[in-house]
Amino acid sequence: MIEAKEVSLRYRDGTLALNNINLTIGEGEIVYITGPSGSGKTSLLKLILGMELPTSGTVKVMGKQISGEKTEELRSLRKKIGPVFQELKLVPGRSAMENVMMGIRFLDFSRQEIKKNAADALEKVGLSHKAHSMVENLSWGEAQRVSIARAIARNPGLILADEPTGNLDHDNAINILNILTSFRQKNTSVVVATHATHLIENQKNITIIRMNQGNISIEKRGDEA
Amino acid sequence: MKNFIANLDYFFKEAKRIIFLNKLSNIFTFLGAVLILLILATVVTGWSISSRLVRMLEEEAEISAFFHEDMDENEVFALAEDLDKLDGVWNVRVVDESEAYERMEEILANDAGILELFDDNPFKAYIEIRIDPGQIDSIVETVKDYKDIDYVRDNRGVLESINDIIKGIKTVGTLIILAVSITTIIIISHMIRQGIYNNREQIKTLGFLGASRMFIGFPFICVGLLITVIAGVLASLVMMLIIHNGYLAMGGSIPFIPLPPKGNLVTGVTLVIMGVSIILGMAGSLFGLSSIKEH
Ligand SMILES: Nc1ncnc2c1ncn2[C@@H]1O[C@H](COP(=O)(O)OP(=O)(O)OP(=O)(O)O)[C@@H](O)[C@H]1O
Ligand SMILES: [Mg+2]
Repeated sequence: MIEAKEVSLRYRDGTLALNNINLTIGEGEIVYITGPSGSGKTSLLKLILGMELPTSGTVKVMGKQISGEKTEELRSLRKKIGPVFQELKLVPGRSAMENVMMGIRFLDFSRQEIKKNAADALEKVGLSHKAHSMVENLSWGEAQRVSIARAIARNPGLILADEPTGNLDHDNAINILNILTSFRQKNTSVVVATHATHLIENQKNITIIRMNQGNISIEKRGDEA
Repeated sequence: MKNFIANLDYFFKEAKRIIFLNKLSNIFTFLGAVLILLILATVVTGWSISSRLVRMLEEEAEISAFFHEDMDENEVFALAEDLDKLDGVWNVRVVDESEAYERMEEILANDAGILELFDDNPFKAYIEIRIDPGQIDSIVETVKDYKDIDYVRDNRGVLESINDIIKGIKTVGTLIILAVSITTIIIISHMIRQGIYNNREQIKTLGFLGASRMFIGFPFICVGLLITVIAGVLASLVMMLIIHNGYLAMGGSIPFIPLPPKGNLVTGVTLVIMGVSIILGMAGSLFGLSSIKEH
């Protein structure tokens, strides 16, 4: 699903955000990326979504190599990915419902499917009652769940979630992680960057990527953890 | 296509939002477009009136060929037939002495009495040749070279000025149309660019989610089209009023300016303005859209 080979990312100001990383993520795999602030979690997710290009090395997602030129290929790749951005990137001036619909309008859905998928996704994250509220009036935790709804409404093959539980209470956070990991049944891979290590302590069959200053260490946890 | 139709209401709503996000500047863009299209409408109207005028003048373009007096009627008609076959000659007619006399009587009207001073008819028969004014030089030369033709009278000066008028109108009209097109495309594309700038975060986000340029850009194309088409409608309505009042005011008082039928003129001008506004709105939006970068 994801294959990174000797990938480094250096930002224009000289910051080395990722340092020679090798990484393989398979179909249906649940991956948690942890590590201190500034360790490169978001940078890694951005590379996978093609928001940044590697300074060296190669990143392949769903068999396609991420590059600057093949914009049409990148676009069709992005259509299969459900991203949750750390800063949410909701579109202000629109309702929660419209935000979720906007994220799937350009996929191959009919008018009814767009509505239904969006409504279902909002229901899953427990926000049906806020469907028609403007997103700028929502609490951060609510807005966060709208952005999660937008990511899952498209039935993605890969979910990339950056701090999706950051502002949620314990129960809501557990709920969100359960929703995201439930996509494993559809063979969807789920990559979650999070500081909330306490929430994943008891999870089984997961991969944990620990980041520190652009370096990674990988722990695969099986059934018996 | 399926999802294009599924999203029509979305595109429309987005277009409305883009317009209202920058109301004041868009209102001025709109007013500017109305005025510019009104200039275009004026040019088109003037063009169609004057080209009709020119066409009628062109039909009047003729030269007179005087032939040997000792030719008999059959020879004259044979000569006329010959001349009729020349390139650039539209038609040929033999005007005999008495007709020439009558014509002069008509021209002199009240002063026709002066003709009675002559004992004989002082006018000669001649061949009247209607021609394409653009080919006057070569035709006159050819006709002169006929051995039976004594001399040719042409009103070359008049014909040349008709040609100059035609050229002038075409040049000025083309320049104005060019200016109007460029200006419209620039103001519309500028407006679109501003809209794109105001919505840059949203555009980026949609890009990260995998939306195509077409999907992102379509609301902006709608905005450009909406502005120019409504401006076109308004400009056409104003022009209609102007034409209507103009015809009332002229009311046949200047009979030598042959106005085209009002209905035809209005329909023609409206069609041209609407067609041009659609094309310009499209071009302006696409031009403005080219500022959306990939990634
Ligand atoms: N666009 C950028 N330009 C320059 N430096 C950047 C840019 N984005 C991130 N960085 C730097 O790269 C490093 C890694 O940042 P990144 O956002 O990946 O960290 P993170 O692990 O996601 O942190 P957090 O837990 O706070 O979200 C940081 O030192 C950050 O300052
Ligand atoms: Mg981060």
